[in-house]
Order: sequence, then C-alpha cells, then structure tokens
Amino acid sequence: MKEDNFWAKITRFWKKLRRYPVIPIAILFVVVFFAIFANLISPYSPEEIALTERLTPPFFMSGGSTSHFLGTDALGRDVLSRIIFGARVSLSVSLVVIAICSAIGTILGMIAGYLGGGFDNFLMRFTDAALAFPALLIALLLGAVFGPSFYTVVLSLSVLGWAPYARMIRGEIIKLREEDFVAQARIIGSSSARILVKHIFPNIINTLVVLMTMSVGLVILIEASLSFLGVGIPPPTPSWGSMVSDGRNLFARAWWISLFPSLAIGFVVLSGNLLGDWIRDRMDPRLRQL
Amino acid sequence: MLMAPPMATLDDLQAIREYLGLNKSLPEQYWTFLKNSTHGDFGTSIHNRQPVSKVIGERLPNTITLGLSAILLGISVSLFLGVTAAVKYGTWLDSGVKLIAILGQALPSFWLAIVAIAIFSVWLGWLPTSGTGGPDHYVLPVLTLSFFMLPIMTRLIRSSMLEVLDSEYVKLARIKGLSEKIVVWKHALRNAIIPLLTAAGITFGTIVTGAVVIETVFAWPGIGRLMAESVVQRDFPVVQALVLLVAIVVLMVNLLVDIMYAYVDPRIRY
Repeated sequence: MKEDNFWAKITRFWKKLRRYPVIPIAILFVVVFFAIFANLISPYSPEEIALTERLTPPFFMSGGSTSHFLGTDALGRDVLSRIIFGARVSLSVSLVVIAICSAIGTILGMIAGYLGGGFDNFLMRFTDAALAFPALLIALLLGAVFGPSFYTVVLSLSVLGWAPYARMIRGEIIKLREEDFVAQARIIGSSSARILVKHIFPNIINTLVVLMTMSVGLVILIEASLSFLGVGIPPPTPSWGSMVSDGRNLFARAWWISLFPSLAIGFVVLSGNLLGDWIRDRMDPRLRQL
Repeated sequence: MLMAPPMATLDDLQAIREYLGLNKSLPEQYWTFLKNSTHGDFGTSIHNRQPVSKVIGERLPNTITLGLSAILLGISVSLFLGVTAAVKYGTWLDSGVKLIAILGQALPSFWLAIVAIAIFSVWLGWLPTSGTGGPDHYVLPVLTLSFFMLPIMTRLIRSSMLEVLDSEYVKLARIKGLSEKIVVWKHALRNAIIPLLTAAGITFGTIVTGAVVIETVFAWPGIGRLMAESVVQRDFPVVQALVLLVAIVVLMVNLLVDIMYAYVDPRIRY
C-alpha cells in the first residue's frame, strides 16, 4: 500500500488533469503571451539580417550556439524571434476574421431563422454554395486583385467564413422560435428586434462560443497556407506559413528553418481544436456531429 | 502596367488598352466576357500570350489524374480506418486512429509534403522530388493530397459507424448468425455511408485547395500550380477562368452528391 502511494497520487493527479485541457490551454496561453510581448521576449529583431551568421543550426547541434536558440535562416535572421513575432500575425488574423465572420453569420442566421420564407431560402442556398466552395480559391483571387496584405487576407477569409455560423445559428433560431418564452414575449408586446436580442440571443451564445473556438485552428491553417503560397502576409513580416516556405528548398541542409514554424502551427492548431472539442462537450454536446 | 515597358508612349498604352478592351465601359467589358466565356473563349493569357483555354487544357489532365487517385485513396483508407476504429471501439486501435485524425487535422499539409520529400526523396532517394513522369512520380503527391481529406472523413466514418453498429437491425443481423464481416461491411456500412456523402461533397472543395498547395510543392504541372503562379504573375484572364471552372465543378459535384443520395437511400425522393 505504502509503495504504490506515490504512483497512485500521480495517477490520480493525471486523471484530474485530463478532465481539463490543461496542455492546450497552457500552449495557447504561451502563444498569446508571446504575441502580446513579442518585442520584449524575442532575443533579436525578426527582420534583422545578419549574413555572416546565416544558416546557423539550433543550439543542440554541432556548430549551433545558444545565441541563436533555434538557428537562423538563409538571411541570418533568428528563427526563434521570427516564430515569436509570427504568433502575432496568426493570432491577429484569426481574431479579426473570427470576429467579422461570427458577427455577420450570427446576424444573417438570426434574421433568416426568425423570418423564414424567401430570405431564409435564398440565404441557405447561398450558404450551401459558400460551404462547398474552397476558401483558398477566393483568397487567391482576392490576393491577385488587391495584392497581398494583412487586409486582403482578412477579407478573403471572411468572404466565405461567415457561412458555417449563419447555417448553425439559423438552425438554433428555428428551434428556439417555437419555444414558449418567445411566444410569451410576443404576447406582452415585445418587438421582433427586442425578442431576437434580449430573449433569443442569450440562448445561442453557447453555440457561438463553440463555433468560434473550433474555427481558430482552421483560420490559422488557411492563413499559413496563403502565406506559404506567397499571397498571404507579405514579407518581411514574419508569418509561420511563409517561414515554412522560405525553408522549403533548404530542407535537406537546414531543416530547422521550416520545421520549427510548422511545429508552431501544428501545436497551436491542435490546441485550438482540442480546446474547442472540450468546450463543445461541456457546453453543447448536441454539436457533436460537427 | 504589366504589359508595357516603362518608356512606353501614351499611344502605346492606348493601343494596349484597346487591344484588351479596357477602353470600353465596365458593363460592356463584362458583357464581352460573358459572351465569350460561354463559347469557351476566356481570352489570352497575359503571361505567355496563349489562349487561356489552351493553357488550362494542357494542365487539366494532370490535375484530374492526381486528384482522382488522391480521392480514391483517401476514401478507401479512411473507410478502412474509420470502420476498424468503430468496430474496435475503445481499444488502442481506436485511440490510434483518433490520434492520427486529430494530428492530421492540425498539421499543415504543405509541411507534410516537405517532410515527405526530405525523407523519401532527399535522404533515402527512393522517389523523385517533383515533376511528372512514371508511376513513381505519383506516390508522394497522391499520398499527401489524400491527407487533406483523410482526417475529416475518418472521424466522420467512425462516428457514423458507431451509431449504426448500435442499431436494432445490426443486432438482428448478428442474431441471424451472419458472419461479423458481412454484418459490418455490408449491413452496417451501407447505412453509415449516407451521412458521408454530404461530407464527401464538401471535402471535394478541400481537395481543390489541397491541389493548389501540393502541386506547388511538388512542381506538378496541373491547374492548382497554374492558379498559384497566375496569381503571383497577376495573369487575370487565367485566374478568372480557373475560378469559374472550379466553381462550376464544385457545384456539379455537390449536385451529383445530392442525386446519389436518392440512389443510395431509396427513402429519399425529390
């Protein structure tokens, strides 16, 4: 009994830990911290070019040193600093895009679900098309027309991104519309707008939060793909996607240039997805089929 | 100005404008575009001065073979993984498949392609790094492209299969004494597949997205890379025609999926 006490403690602690997505939250917290305090934390400026120190390997390899922790790229820029600053790009793009998409999607979905009829029909056919259409193509098209910039990326991710929100919210509203409390609100003379905002909206916040968390990963991935293809955030601003692309042809010689940023993408997206899953199971298990 | 040298005179510019039809009003230009595109004439590529339809036509077969083989591979592998995970629910096999699916959804696919090139082409030297040619050129692009749809499909098949395996008629089929193989692959799968059709329609879009990325990484001469190149070169007629083409194909595939519903599930009638 005494012998396995220690292990039992650890197992119990581990089980407790597993009930909460501690690791994903920790990773996301670190990334948000990096993004906010990037200029204080990062050892170098992300755009500082030092040709004498180009292609320095990370510290644990021969020839590497702790002055460039994760090595340098083909222009001698510090990979770690660029990853830290890249967190800013990924996070700001996803925050802005998700804010825009959820706002548009919620408003359209609420109106369509509440009014029904022609507008609803029209909007749902439109979302069908928007859901099926590859977002990357629209992004490429807009990238070609407006040229790559932060705003182009945000715009092109938002053009179709509202569709899942509209679809989901509409479904919820159609269910809620028939509830007694809505009928009662109408009886005491509330206007449609008041019913939607004051009575129905609080009931869809759960769904909304779940959708928003679950789309963080997706937005970061698409932004990375766009930057990888060269139509995302324009250089020299460090974006994880374009960093992977920079190191692409040097992979055999200097794998660290593209490996570390892609690990950053992978960990952040994974954490976002796991956190989203957890919130969904907690708040709204009906969304399971998503 | 992409077509004129810096020292071009006003007359030259005017001539280029007239040649491109840019001196007409916007509605007029749009009308010409509509009229010509219905005849299959998408104008001339700015980059290499060839008809857009020819530029696309040369590249299209490469993308179709790549895309179709990736879709076939993706569907068969995800069917196998999803069904296995559902049948072995709760075992290490199930967790393994779940892990692959979760990781696959999080890792950027272009990175997977780069790593695959580094391992199999550069270090081991088994497969060519890029371009087209013999069947060995297909291995890496097809594998990595199918990974665009694999995680989502596997997850969906698993959950849909779990639901079906729990139903009364599966129980009946087992009571009748049918072998487990027939119960799973014939009775259960047929019903589990229905919700997947919609997903397949939507994942087709992700294959298109994937084609752009994968063809760029593997220097595959298909329309995906053409798209990425044309965007960077600002070759608007090509981009325009490609987006139109892809939009039509995606919508057709989704229509086809809806029609197949009625075929797979006779209860659905339109």
